[in-house]
Amino acid sequence: MLATTPSIGATFRARLFVLPFILLVAPLASCQTTGHSSPAAIAGPTSLADGRYTLVLHGMSCPKCISNVEMQLTRIQGITHPTVDMKNGFVRIDVHSDNAPSKAVIANAIEDSGFTLVEIREGDN
Amino acid sequence: MPSATAPSPGVLIPRVQVRAYSFEDDQFLLEENIRFEFGLVRDLSISAEIPLFQGFFNAPRPTDGEFGLGDMDLLVELRVLREDINAIDTIRVSVFAGAELPTATNGFAQASLDPCIGAVFSSIFGHHGIDLSARYTSVTGDGLASPIFLTDSGDDFFNIDAGYAFRIHPEEYAQTREPAWYLTAELNGVWTVGGEHELVLSPGLLIEAPNYAIELGVGIPLSEELASAPKLEFALLAGLRLLF
Repeated sequence: MLATTPSIGATFRARLFVLPFILLVAPLASCQTTGHSSPAAIAGPTSLADGRYTLVLHGMSCPKCISNVEMQLTRIQGITHPTVDMKNGFVRIDVHSDNAPSKAVIANAIEDSGFTLVEIREGDN
Repeated sequence: MPSATAPSPGVLIPRVQVRAYSFEDDQFLLEENIRFEFGLVRDLSISAEIPLFQGFFNAPRPTDGEFGLGDMDLLVELRVLREDINAIDTIRVSVFAGAELPTATNGFAQASLDPCIGAVFSSIFGHHGIDLSARYTSVTGDGLASPIFLTDSGDDFFNIDAGYAFRIHPEEYAQTREPAWYLTAELNGVWTVGGEHELVLSPGLLIEAPNYAIELGVGIPLSEELASAPKLEFALLAGLRLLF
């Protein structure tokens, strides 16, 4: 048995209900948060030299997080082999200087994946 | 129930759930639920969920395995708070809004656009995870003549959900990609402005790996005050989630 057609008043009430949320969300969504990444993490030289680095992250709370962060880092030119160590909150990456990303780009990718970049260390630790 | 986790930009997460409901008077319902969640930009995602039902009720509800689509649920979720405390521990809050869209006209669907708004709090500390969510839905139509669920009555309603997960394996995360196992328990409550309610306890098991998750659960009604929907005896749930 079909439900009756909603009244015009009910339809208007529905639109009025949703509109304020859309008006609130749109500007918030367009202003990406400047992020929680530690300023110290992106201090110093803006680009990374060739080599292996360890990104120290906070907030990787479940195995699904591994895919999230690997996916975002893999999209960055000049970064290969992101390997997540959940126990310590580390992500190890290889940087190639032909297309070396800036620290800010890396920090943005980590923020996009939903975590906080605390530090960038040279080498495996 | 929702959680304040979100796919990162450009990431698609499909999820399939199958639920089997046993109601009073030997009535049954099968629900196959397909959901897609997509990361739009940082902290903002959209999801679409549509159920397919197969009813084994007594008339006038759908009988003899009658199939039917339910109404689509379309939501936009914005994460408004993220506090990452250490390698694993985190606190997150999201708000969401959307609507149940009238995508079908049959004994399972309400044929009305019903907007909703809500918020969810999620936290993980060590082995423990907590989700708390609240949602208000404004029902703009008259509901179903023969309601199947409490939410089909035509009254506006609130969903209040609380979930707890305890990681039983691994004891400590390692450097490998092995899946984690969680024992879970949810309290799912629905209250209508017309005075009806239903409170269900849902213990379960969640297995989560980097690219997939499997969930199994059972729903046990603790309290029901229903005017016309049939009483639930128990429900079974199985789900698969993939990450692309």
